[in-house]
Amino acid sequence: MSIVFAKSQRQLLSAALFVSLLPALPVTTQAADLGSSQVCQALQTKYPQFKGKTLVDAINPHTPGYEALDPKDPSKYVGLDIDLAEALGSCLGFSLKYTPVAFAALLPTLQSGQADLVISDIYATKERAKAADFITYSKVFDGVLVAKGNPKNITGINLSMCGTTAAENTGFVEVPLVQNLAAPCKAAGKPVPQLQLYDNNASCIQAILAGRADTYINDVNTVDQAVKAYPDKLSKAAAVTLPYHIGIGVSKDNPELRDAIVLALGEIQKSGLQLDLMKKWGLNQGAIEPPTIISDK
Amino acid sequence: MDLFFHYLTLDYLLKGIVLTLEVTTLGLVGGFAIGIVLAAMLLSRHRWISVVARTYTVIFRGTPLILQMVFVYDALPHLGIMLSALVAGGVALALNEAPFIAEILRAGIRGVDRGQSDAGQALGMSSFVLMKRIIAPQAIRTMIPAFGNEGVNALKNSSLASFISVQELTLRSTQLASSTFDFFSVFFASGLLYLMLTGGVSAIQLFAERALDLDRPRGKGKILMYLLPWRRYAEEAPPSKAPTVSDGVEVSEPLVTPTREARMTRLTNLAKGPIAVEIHDLTKCYGSRQVFGDLNLQVRTGEIVALLGPSGSGKSTLLRCINRLETWDSGDVLIGGRRVGYSSGGIVLSPSEVARQRVDVGVGMLFQHFNLFAHLSAAENIAGPLRWVHGWSQEAAAQRAQELLDRVGLGDRADTLPRHLSGGQQQRVAIARAIAPGAKLLLLDEPTSALDPEMVGEVLEVIRRLAIEDKLTMIISTHQLRFAEEVADRVVFLTDGNIVEDGPAHEVLSHPRNPLTARFIRVMNSGQTSAVAL
Repeated sequence: MSIVFAKSQRQLLSAALFVSLLPALPVTTQAADLGSSQVCQALQTKYPQFKGKTLVDAINPHTPGYEALDPKDPSKYVGLDIDLAEALGSCLGFSLKYTPVAFAALLPTLQSGQADLVISDIYATKERAKAADFITYSKVFDGVLVAKGNPKNITGINLSMCGTTAAENTGFVEVPLVQNLAAPCKAAGKPVPQLQLYDNNASCIQAILAGRADTYINDVNTVDQAVKAYPDKLSKAAAVTLPYHIGIGVSKDNPELRDAIVLALGEIQKSGLQLDLMKKWGLNQGAIEPPTIISDK
Repeated sequence: MDLFFHYLTLDYLLKGIVLTLEVTTLGLVGGFAIGIVLAAMLLSRHRWISVVARTYTVIFRGTPLILQMVFVYDALPHLGIMLSALVAGGVALALNEAPFIAEILRAGIRGVDRGQSDAGQALGMSSFVLMKRIIAPQAIRTMIPAFGNEGVNALKNSSLASFISVQELTLRSTQLASSTFDFFSVFFASGLLYLMLTGGVSAIQLFAERALDLDRPRGKGKILMYLLPWRRYAEEAPPSKAPTVSDGVEVSEPLVTPTREARMTRLTNLAKGPIAVEIHDLTKCYGSRQVFGDLNLQVRTGEIVALLGPSGSGKSTLLRCINRLETWDSGDVLIGGRRVGYSSGGIVLSPSEVARQRVDVGVGMLFQHFNLFAHLSAAENIAGPLRWVHGWSQEAAAQRAQELLDRVGLGDRADTLPRHLSGGQQQRVAIARAIAPGAKLLLLDEPTSALDPEMVGEVLEVIRRLAIEDKLTMIISTHQLRFAEEVADRVVFLTDGNIVEDGPAHEVLSHPRNPLTARFIRVMNSGQTSAVAL
């Protein structure tokens, strides 16, 4: 019984390997080369305190494409953020351990010292920059997830949302944006939008599938994945540009790690690795953002 | 359906079970450890200790577990205590479980009949022995269902550790659902896995209940049947009734009431003997109500004193004071010259030290409601205290128990549980238990008043023989006037906590001088044994 299982799994694995071999080849090679590049070698000399260490990366692994379990092997996390973390690790010489927490717990986990960094599709807002320092790596594009056919005719975070119910995760930047619609909606003589707060993407998507919520606004890639999983029940109503960047969070007590990441990320982007990774995960390649520190006292 | 089975057998989820069990185990083991300490503190005689424990209970029972988890995980590191997620989850769960477990323990302990600890104390058991041998074994039987509840609760509550990144079953399920979008298959699978775990806890509970069931059916093949939910406990065997008044009590020779001359001689001889019990200016109040005011009484060695008096006159309280089951406000009780309840230096003794003192002065007690240890067989009721308190060997104790059971006519009921004995039989076992260590002074608190009338005779018969054959000093509170007249040397009549008449039994009972005594005797003799309004 177990032999049969092992065999079929190995077949599955080799099949998966074969399929992914061609497009994945350059990405893997580049990542491996990274550690031996001159810049990375120099960084490892400049920041020896990270070399050989295991850093803890707090993630909210509910965003396929950025970070989620590998459906084929649930013992692993996969996604752009994971690949990016590994690339940073190979450049600076550290290895990584991932700790999954609720979205709202990402920064508290970092602040309590239970994690060294946060790479989890988190938007570097001014408020969050009070709790941690961020290094940007991507622009933000949101999508509006609605039930098939968009019965409430929602066109974005605007007056079309008056009187509708939005599902969001606790701590998401979209939460205050929806809340801010209350005044304009009232002024227009319409009911204010309602919010339902959840803990992860799955719950938000479920809220729409179950008819509890009308829309879920989040990263466009997450929205696309949800539509792909339920093509008969869900659709993307619109794309929204938000004035934020996605960033890597680092403790304010650790400016050296922050500076090291800025330099390593610059090298990763220069080598073309980030572009390849975004291609690999089907993300908008125009979104790449050069590493800038966002910090607020 | 295929997906459901796929997730049900998925290694990733099964590994989550291990972590779920680890957090639960940490929580329950830690919770028990802290809970036992808490329960002991809550039951403490010292007020400030119980206040500390009560404060902890209020805080940790009154705040959500999820906040406690986040506190241990995220706040303690700021104080320099960095626990791994698994340990933090386990510690938070333990801190949260402890007050619940403590309250179960406290309820179980308090649920054990007060008479059980009275009997244990009267037999000289220290607080520890009393807890270990008498209270705990009885309490645990009533606590198991509640512990089963707590185990299931802890298992389900461990899912909150997902909030602090412990990769247990719930966290793994939600992450898997997020990455695969197979919400229902994943959650049904993990629900079923939880059900299997909690089912395991229920099975452990039922096995434990069965293992501790004193009446459990013996023999193989019954175990599984026993666990079936629709199985009902077999009707308990009714206690065997004593067929005759004196079944089994050896009646070697009829006891003849001694002549008046013989009595007088005995009284004169006793009066020359040493004092066994001396009560000096005993004063006791319950709140504003005075029970005794400056009560004085002397009992000589070998003397048999009958305490008479209406209900509520203080007979029982007086007996309980003599062996310090009750405290008093002022005055002294001396047994064999030793001041009861105080060290030779005049310091108040702890309950355990008082227990030791009872052993040293050799005082035993018989209770109205027998107070046999409910979880022990008749023989073990006698042999147990001999081993635990007096340090007898297993064989010597067993032999002594059998010897005494034979003597009270219950040699063939040695292995019977008290609840399967009739009232009269139980009191006979209690007599054997009280005299087993070689007591010199026996206090009998209405030994026959809880018995059906047809059983009174068998118990009085045993006491009567004890009086003649063992030459014990006895103080008996009773309503049985005829028995008092036959057995007692002296009658002391108590009303409202005062001794109003005290003299030779025959004299007091046939020619009472005090009008209250006279009225009491008249009413009793006319057969109105209850509701004596004086």
